[in-house]
Amino acid sequence: MSVPLKKENVPEPIAYSEAALRNNANVLEYCRTSMSALSGSTAGVLGLTALNGFAFYMFSVVILWVMFMIKAGPNWQKYYVSRQSLLTHGFLGGLCTYVLFWTFIYGMVHVY
Amino acid sequence: MSFPKVLLTVGFISLFHSAFSAAQHRSYLRITSQEFTTLPLDIVIQAVGSLFAVMWGVMCIAGNLREIQAAAELNNIAWETQMNVPSFYMFNHRLRAMESSYIPTSGKGDLENLE
Repeated sequence: MSVPLKKENVPEPIAYSEAALRNNANVLEYCRTSMSALSGSTAGVLGLTALNGFAFYMFSVVILWVMFMIKAGPNWQKYYVSRQSLLTHGFLGGLCTYVLFWTFIYGMVHVY
Repeated sequence: MSFPKVLLTVGFISLFHSAFSAAQHRSYLRITSQEFTTLPLDIVIQAVGSLFAVMWGVMCIAGNLREIQAAAELNNIAWETQMNVPSFYMFNHRLRAMESSYIPTSGKGDLENLE
């Protein structure tokens, strides 16, 4: 005999608007790409090498995350499903852009 | 110009300026044949500060976040707007014929040659 489910245990399903989700993901993607390019340039200007540069990427990712938290305000659930995905979404793609700009600007400023 | 755009422009100019400062510092070190260890602190602060400014500007320009709850945007629309269905507009009703001021037309032919 199956145990009847208690009504309190079943979470109420939430309907999300697809268009709004996609719009928010687009905003995040745009900011992530710009942030990668800009922080790559800054790392190149500062002349960071090796692991310092990757640490600087982590730092700027966290800064972008904090900025998004400030933008979304205290009730971020209205705009995003989870905060963790906001931090990790598009991490590696951004890293490629970052390394590209980092090496380019480092070469422009410090080598030539 | 709005505030984020000003922030973006100023941040970019400041970032370029710090890049030129760093390049000049490098060439100064090369001329005086010193070893490069780190950049001067003011260039570092300027570069990182302008990075933050540009990031904030980009984030403001990227657009507003929309609420992801499906009903969230519908809640702000007035009932009159939601119930506005153009397909159900009525321009002619048969009850008009019950009015005392009603002048009956002889048919569709009258509509076609009005003049």
